[in-house]
Amino acid sequence: MAKKPKSVLEESKEIQLAVELIQFGARLQLLECEISLSRDRLINLYKELRGESPPKGMLPFSVDWFLTWKPNIHSSLFLGIYRQLVEHTTASGIQAIIKAYRLYLEEIPHDEYEEPTLSLTRAWTLIRFLNSFMLTTARCETCGGEFVVQPYAQYHFVCGLFHVPNRAGKTRKLASAIQMHSVA
Amino acid sequence: MNTNNIMQEIRDINLSYLMLAQHLVRTDKDEAVFRLGISQEIADLLGNLSTAQVMKLAGGSMMLTRFRFDDVAILGMLTHDSKSQSMAHLHASILLSRQPVETIC
Repeated sequence: MAKKPKSVLEESKEIQLAVELIQFGARLQLLECEISLSRDRLINLYKELRGESPPKGMLPFSVDWFLTWKPNIHSSLFLGIYRQLVEHTTASGIQAIIKAYRLYLEEIPHDEYEEPTLSLTRAWTLIRFLNSFMLTTARCETCGGEFVVQPYAQYHFVCGLFHVPNRAGKTRKLASAIQMHSVA
Repeated sequence: MNTNNIMQEIRDINLSYLMLAQHLVRTDKDEAVFRLGISQEIADLLGNLSTAQVMKLAGGSMMLTRFRFDDVAILGMLTHDSKSQSMAHLHASILLSRQPVETIC
């Protein structure tokens, strides 16, 4: 069966979208799902933009990451922005994800040398998990905020911001930075 | 601060607000809806105002904008010091992002 020829304009839009996604660090699997360009062309585009081959291997597929303390807060923030956009504007699908992701990046403490906690690919995965009911959201009983939770944990939920783990924020990287500072 | 100054300040803020809102709506309406916490109808309305209309609207003696945190408990929690300062900011963002938008009845 002959494929219907794609309009040039349509294709240029797809490429534009692919470029935007790659610049945000999207993985190849995400591109393949959202963009109807051939895999080879996507790989070429990726190489041209980033100067390296796209990373191989599967995407992280566990929901657990979204439930750990810091990722949960970041995921919940992204989701809040995303839902607000979907409910109150005409944005939808991958466009809404990109817009929400851009707004999310503005909200988090900015550091050029550090990757944001939630990558675009993770954000996209989060929306897929929610759509397939592998994750859901619950309202915190104390603050009323909406947070990402496992489906069976949505009753009497209190968000992580009221249960700050003792080691919160004390990553190995930060510890070594402090040590360097005290030596210098 | 005398009454005249106060009124002048309110007018300045109203004018800045309306100009910023128009700029946001004209650049990206979806983003504007999110940032300003307004519905699409209000966004359209603001975006279509003429300069004369903006001046007229800003010229009153009352604020055009409203305080978006209307929950005392949340506000208290966010302004008091918490265990993790950088997280307090994120917490505020999570709560603010899902505040209902202003709509025209």
